[in-house]
Amino acid sequence: MNCKERTAEIVEYARRRAEPDMELRAHLATCSGCGERWEAERQLTSRFRIMRIRAEARRAPEARRESLMRDFAHRHRRAPMPAWVWALSAAAALLFAALLGHAARNRLHERAVPAIRTHGAGAQQTIFYEASTDASALSGDDDFIALPYAPPLAAGELIRVVHADLDRDVLASMGIDVDPSWESELPAEVVVGEDGLPRALRIADNTQF
Amino acid sequence: MPRSDEELYRLMRKGDQDAFAELYERREPALYRYALHTSGSSIVAEEVAHEVFVQLMGAGARFDERRGSLESYLYGVARNLIRVVRRQGPVEEAIDRAVEHDILGDLISNETMAALHRALREMPDRYRDVVILCDLEERSYEDVARIIGHPIGTVRSRLHRARALLSAKLKWLNAPAEVLSR
Repeated sequence: MNCKERTAEIVEYARRRAEPDMELRAHLATCSGCGERWEAERQLTSRFRIMRIRAEARRAPEARRESLMRDFAHRHRRAPMPAWVWALSAAAALLFAALLGHAARNRLHERAVPAIRTHGAGAQQTIFYEASTDASALSGDDDFIALPYAPPLAAGELIRVVHADLDRDVLASMGIDVDPSWESELPAEVVVGEDGLPRALRIADNTQF
Repeated sequence: MPRSDEELYRLMRKGDQDAFAELYERREPALYRYALHTSGSSIVAEEVAHEVFVQLMGAGARFDERRGSLESYLYGVARNLIRVVRRQGPVEEAIDRAVEHDILGDLISNETMAALHRALREMPDRYRDVVILCDLEERSYEDVARIIGHPIGTVRSRLHRARALLSAKLKWLNAPAEVLSR
């Protein structure tokens, strides 16, 4: 082992403040360069030790720590607020959406003719009338056919005349006899009560009957 | 089993003040000493150790566990802060104040310690860091390798080189320092 290789050994022994082994001791006794290095390393270790002892007791004042802890508490006291704001905003948005949905559903309900729509007919136009009597009064001169089994209209009840294309099944469900071979839809006007149920209808084109 | 730095960090990010306090107690003293040895100023050391934790709790903390340990990150922040302070000009207060409280003052002169501090401060960062961590903080080569992000062999060779540089600089002090080795 040459002097360069011994250096690492010298440093480590000095750092550990250990006595060199016999082989290294023998080398240090004969090599002045390594001997000097050994002394220098030992002295450096001693000085570092003093520095370490001095510094060990030193640290930032307690006031620094307290200031940091206060700062931390302050930051995180404010932190939950946005979460609350978010939660409240989300709740408000949900409530708003629910109200909006409810209003939209009511509006659709008002516009739709449930009995007809349920059966797949397309309503095209709605005209409102005030009924003076029941739906049978519409039949006769106006070519309206009173639908069998329909509940009577109350006096003064608001009725609507809905223009719709009705297929065979819808007409059959209203109790109207239809030619079984008829496949296409038929334009018709349906009298609908306030409860949305059809009371009478008038076929625009009656060649299918 | 003590919680890891990273675990404490995660808890403190969620607002756990006890975790933050534990992290502070665990890491602040060494960071303070690191800044003290590096800057030579207790004022700078106080400021740097404080600022490291201010940054850690701040929204801008960029610590990423995948990139290394929290300890390594904290030393990195401290190192950068000291560089900033250094660019602003020399701070000469420190060591003198430290010497006032020298419990081994009978054995070594203030001049000797001041010279050692000065020599340490004047070293390149890569050498000074390993001296502080290995010899002043007595951390293992493995720990230091993890903190500075270099292989153990690099840490060892840098330390040996740094000690040789310091010995050469302090050669003129050898005679009075012999008192210590008795």
